[in-house]
Amino acid sequence: MTLSLIIFLPLLGALLPPLFIRLGRTACAWSAALLAGTALAILLYHSPAVFAGETLVFTQPWLPALGLNFSLRLDGLGLLFALLILGIGLLIILYARYYLSEHDPMGRFYGMLLLFMAAMLGIVLSENLLLLLVFWELTSLSSFLLIGYWKHRSDARQGARMALAITGGGGLAMLAGILLLGHITGSYELSVVLASAELIQAHALYPVTLALILLGAFTKSAQFPFHFWLPHAMAAPTPVSAYLHSATMVKAGVFLLARLFPALSGTELWFFLVAGTGTATLLLGAYHALFKHDLKGLLAYSTVSHLGLITLLFGIGTPLAAVAGVFHIINHATFKASLFMAAGIIDHETGTRDMRRLGGLWRFMPHTATLAMVAAASMAGVPLFNGFLSKEMFFAETLHAGWMGEWSWLLPLLATLAALFSVAYSVRFIHDVFFGTGPRDITRKPHEPPRYMKVPVEVLVALCLLVGILPAWTVAPLLAAAAASTVGAELPYYSLAIWHGFNLPLLMSLIALAGGVILYLLRFRLFALHDRIFPLCDAKAWFECGLARTIAVSHQLTAWLENGSLQRYAMLLVASVLIVIGTSLWGTTLTGPVAMGTVDGVTLTGALVLGVSALATVIWHRRRLAALVLLSVVGLVVSVAFVRFSAPDLALTQLSVEMVTILLLMLALYFLPQHSPAESSTARRWRDGLLAAGAGLSVAALAWGVLTRPLETISGYFLEQSKPGGGGSNVVNVILVDFRGFDTLGEITVLAIAAFGIYALLQGLRLPSPTTDGEGRPWAEDRHPLILSAVSRPLLPLALMVSLYILLRGHNLPGGGFIAGLVTAVALILQYVASGVVWTRERLPFDYIKLTASGVLVATLTGVASWWFAHPFLTSTFEYVQLPLLGKFELASAMVFDVGVYLTVVGSTLLILANLGKLTLVSQPHEETK
Amino acid sequence: MLALAIPIAFALMSLALLLNLWRVVRGPDLPDRILALDTLYINSIALLVLFGIHLDTMIYFEVALLIAMMGFVGTVAVAKYLLRGDIIE
Amino acid sequence: MTHTIILPVLLPLLTALVLLFGSRRSLAWKRGVSLAATAALLPLGLLLLQQTYSGAYGVYALGNWVAPFGIVLVLDRLAALMLLLTALLSLPALLYASHGDDHTGPNFHALFQFQLMGLNGAFLTGDLFNLFVFFEVLLIASYALLLHGAGPARSRAGLHYVILNLVGSGLFLLAVGTLYGITGTLNMADLAVRVAAAGPADAPLLRAAGLLLLVVFALKAALLPLYFWLPRAYSAASAPVAALFAIMTKVGVYSIVRVYSLIFGAQAGLLADTALAWLWPLALATLVLGALGALAARELRTLIAYLVVVSVGTLLAGFALNNNAALAASLYYLLHSTLVAGGLFLLAGLIRTQRGAEGDQLHPAAPVSQPALLGSLFFIAAVAVVGMPPLSGFIGKLLLLSSVPPGMQLIWLWAIVLGSGLLALITLSRAGSQLFWNTLEITPVAPRADRLRLAAVVLLLASAPLLSLFAEPVHRYTQATAAQLYAPAGYIHAVLGARDIPRLTIGPEERP
Repeated sequence: MTLSLIIFLPLLGALLPPLFIRLGRTACAWSAALLAGTALAILLYHSPAVFAGETLVFTQPWLPALGLNFSLRLDGLGLLFALLILGIGLLIILYARYYLSEHDPMGRFYGMLLLFMAAMLGIVLSENLLLLLVFWELTSLSSFLLIGYWKHRSDARQGARMALAITGGGGLAMLAGILLLGHITGSYELSVVLASAELIQAHALYPVTLALILLGAFTKSAQFPFHFWLPHAMAAPTPVSAYLHSATMVKAGVFLLARLFPALSGTELWFFLVAGTGTATLLLGAYHALFKHDLKGLLAYSTVSHLGLITLLFGIGTPLAAVAGVFHIINHATFKASLFMAAGIIDHETGTRDMRRLGGLWRFMPHTATLAMVAAASMAGVPLFNGFLSKEMFFAETLHAGWMGEWSWLLPLLATLAALFSVAYSVRFIHDVFFGTGPRDITRKPHEPPRYMKVPVEVLVALCLLVGILPAWTVAPLLAAAAASTVGAELPYYSLAIWHGFNLPLLMSLIALAGGVILYLLRFRLFALHDRIFPLCDAKAWFECGLARTIAVSHQLTAWLENGSLQRYAMLLVASVLIVIGTSLWGTTLTGPVAMGTVDGVTLTGALVLGVSALATVIWHRRRLAALVLLSVVGLVVSVAFVRFSAPDLALTQLSVEMVTILLLMLALYFLPQHSPAESSTARRWRDGLLAAGAGLSVAALAWGVLTRPLETISGYFLEQSKPGGGGSNVVNVILVDFRGFDTLGEITVLAIAAFGIYALLQGLRLPSPTTDGEGRPWAEDRHPLILSAVSRPLLPLALMVSLYILLRGHNLPGGGFIAGLVTAVALILQYVASGVVWTRERLPFDYIKLTASGVLVATLTGVASWWFAHPFLTSTFEYVQLPLLGKFELASAMVFDVGVYLTVVGSTLLILANLGKLTLVSQPHEETK
Repeated sequence: MLALAIPIAFALMSLALLLNLWRVVRGPDLPDRILALDTLYINSIALLVLFGIHLDTMIYFEVALLIAMMGFVGTVAVAKYLLRGDIIE
Repeated sequence: MTHTIILPVLLPLLTALVLLFGSRRSLAWKRGVSLAATAALLPLGLLLLQQTYSGAYGVYALGNWVAPFGIVLVLDRLAALMLLLTALLSLPALLYASHGDDHTGPNFHALFQFQLMGLNGAFLTGDLFNLFVFFEVLLIASYALLLHGAGPARSRAGLHYVILNLVGSGLFLLAVGTLYGITGTLNMADLAVRVAAAGPADAPLLRAAGLLLLVVFALKAALLPLYFWLPRAYSAASAPVAALFAIMTKVGVYSIVRVYSLIFGAQAGLLADTALAWLWPLALATLVLGALGALAARELRTLIAYLVVVSVGTLLAGFALNNNAALAASLYYLLHSTLVAGGLFLLAGLIRTQRGAEGDQLHPAAPVSQPALLGSLFFIAAVAVVGMPPLSGFIGKLLLLSSVPPGMQLIWLWAIVLGSGLLALITLSRAGSQLFWNTLEITPVAPRADRLRLAAVVLLLASAPLLSLFAEPVHRYTQATAAQLYAPAGYIHAVLGARDIPRLTIGPEERP
């Protein structure tokens, strides 16, 4: 349990600094240090057990179905890394307190730093590989925030995004690799995976798995060819660079190599992939470091190079190489973090990091200079400093690398070459900054930094010396514990001593030291040469260019696909229909067993009229009123066709709906140009015509297929049950109000919503209205012709009576609420047409919104009422009553429902039409523009 | 008698339908088309009544009645549109 | 007889009617009524979820007519899950709307309730035609909500949305008509039985109808090549409406899952797995194009709209994998993507109001007035939506990736899901740095965000850590849901009872 505290305390701590900043900058730093310090204390509390060879494991299930558990593991390797993370982290907190200026939001900085610290601790303490990945990506995310800390600087933003894209992308590849690893071993727990080396390496998926996991490790540890993000991440504040880009985050990649070393290493593929990448990175980094004029740039490439060195060591694959790798991780963390901090101090005190402007700082800050010199000597691998020890081991291992066959001389040679460059840039770091002439163009007089800003550097430099001089007394137990858990087996014998006698590694060191100094003396000639050879070799530019290209392509693609053309979208929809119906029906027997009936002349004539007028509507769609008249013909013929095929209810409904629609269209047409321009090219029209014909044929095929098959439907039940169960002999109506009354309730709701929606849309709408008709003639003077008003008024009571009749008898004969409502609505609309809005509203003072809503409410409550009788919603009941004068009369609950339908239809139709009609009252006349 | 009259009537009504269609399509003017549409409504009424007589049922007569009303309203509205543009003012 | 099953439909309907009767009352009254009713959907959703937890089905025969003759509402695990999700999404959206977006036009709250009624009805109904009706309800309400407080961009995008969906409704009718013509029934359970029993003579017509339904649902779900209406429509809508619309595409996804597991699923005889062969490539292509669209987006809202498209592609790819684990993963992902997208739309609304005239354009502008707060929220939402750990998007992707059996499908899915994840990472890091880092040196003048609006955003975005933290119980439920969906015999039996079902290969056995 306390293991998880090591992660959760810094995570919790991420919240404190933003709160404590109100108490001042020092309090803020203390709040950050407090929880990190506590976590370190807990870690130390557990360390004796680890030194005794135990592996502490803590497991809490998270998503066991997937194998994702919150399980932690503290072994030697984890301990080493956790110590580095927390120890250096605390030093960084102290350092940053003095590094950050008054303008920098310190609370945010510490918050993000602790978030990163927690994530990093998570990586090194994870027992579950998926959990490790969770923390892995969290470090990418928090480092994105840290690199972009100075958000106003574009290089910071770019560097942050690039780092995130590369390391986050690598993480995605690693995710795939880990999933494969889990697939092979059946578990994501490290204890299982590490014990399954044979199984993994014999598996067919081993190469893919390895490659994917290495992608993750290499991107994180800035290995060639992904190294380029690291130098650009130097836009971050220096404490961040010192922490993330020397000691911790970039070490996550090599940590993973160490962590999975027992499971994945030892094959030829591993050797060539890992050692090869490591070697390339080692050389490339060392070479570029020499040519950077920016202090942090030099350190960044040096880091790249040293990470390559560590990768190479793990790639060699022998236990001793792994020991050397772990050792160099420790040494690099100490000397590189102190160098970064020294660079930060120099930047802080002089205002520049450009080595061409710096120089001669020894006079101003001898203390800092001494510290930097010790650290740089360690980086160069000078004896008595810790870098020397691990570099010696490194040289020794390159001499013993397997798999190389006749080429085994190559690796030591390249290693010496890289070391030579390493010495050269270390010398440059010291000489160009602290000695020689300068500084130049410095605005302020440099002096030593605040006392406490140097303390972290002093601590680290002291470690460099202690480890370098007395390795066996200091680092040996930790190294042994970490190396043992890395290798996963008994460690072979190795000795941590400064002096191993005269041997080949020592010779290589001496060559490197001497050669490095010579190389430095020749530097100006080399700079010129470098500028000539590599003027354009910038991976960052390639990355940005590639990204820009991708964005440009997606712009074009998206603009082409989503071009805002309704015609295009409709075309795609219709084409989809054509394709699915076509592929389903093509080559199959469409005709079923049922023969077609005969056709009579009248029906044929009707079909002809229908076809011709439909076609003419399309052809004349640009002459709008004419098209509207033709559309009326279509509607009329369809209604008559319904009658012809024994569906009087449908016919009545269709007729009424038709009329309301036409009225609606005319109301809208008034505000539109009388003629619409031609918008489609001829080719387009042909394409659309073909599509339309195809769609028509498809639907015809479906209809043909259905009609030639026997119709055995549930309608038989409806016919049977209509009278005894539903209490009505008009099955259509009983279906509407009873069998499928729920559908009807839904549909009247739709109608009501449409009315409310249109009402809402029309509110506040002001449209210009035309002053002349399509041919440019002025409108007639007479608003409400007397004859029309006179004829229309008597029609109203007549129509109301008819609709009442239709409503009441609907249950048994054609009719019902829907038709009745439409008839009433049309009759009322006629009054609007004949006598105007004002006149009609005076005499019809209903609130149409409430009328509509009450219709739906009546229908709904009818349904709810059945709950009273312990029946489901909308259960109907009916009773026959004897009424005086009228005789036997049926009362059905469904009739109340039908009244609801009636009210809704009347209300919503009037709400729509009357509000559209009212538009003109508030609109301004204008000349129609062609 | 009726057996002979009805087919003849059907034939004549069909012819009328076609002629009306011709007028709707040809125009030449909008009023011509509107008038043709109105006549189409009347033809449909006749057709339905004929159909009712043919099947010996009263059900279709109500549809015919409704067509009459809708036809009237429709024609009025289009006419109003021609006159004033704005049918509800 | 318990009536709780129908309450998710009736409650919003009656609330809407009450709101309409009070349409002249104060906005505060309307807000109160609307919020109370929407809040009530939450316990209701939990209650229904609890009822289905054991795997029991709830069947509600409307009008007391026995299935397949009457309409039935069927409550199963999937329906309960969708109902709860709707409630979880709609309450914050409404809360947000209640502080500014609801007064730009009349009857916003009534329309919102109608929309909820349509959504809930669509998830509950066990009748194909009734599904059409509820599609109409939710679509027409969504048209009205989309155009609410109209402007030119909104009207144009809204018009496209309306017209395409009307065509879609027509196609839906055609498909239902064809199915009815061949099988003679509309009840989905009955359809499942009859489609499974269809002979070779009828199979082509049924396949055509089934695929026609796929076109309709794909249009609603926004699947390639029918998603192009979505980006403009969603980015033109007001923030709370866009947030609510996050579930509109999921209605299409729901319908696809329902119809192609129940009616045209593995047990459908000649018509087994009708849609899968189409879904798989289209879903993956949607994923890729959606990710590219997001990368190309110049406005935050367009970007989020494309992320919705991406989520649809991911979901349907998961369904097309046709196994229990993948469907369970997809359902988990559905919860995550709906809530997070909703939160993002709301957040975009806040950002827009604070950035002045530049709105949510992704280029340098004045900073927002609360950069730390909005920036943190954006960061969390972005992490969730990209699928980075430790939030819900990561868990969803992990579940999906690990559900593919080895083979070509694995290579395609992994490559595309991970690749689009990388694109999304780049996209959102660019967008975030444009919005919050690359700001002009102007002191922000916009007022701070309304507390309740912030609360709405936080509520929705809180789903990301919560879904991740409680991944285990949620995933257990979605797993059970997937198992139930792939064993439709239970559904059929619950609806049709002991009615003599022709001997079919419908067995309780579950797929791997």
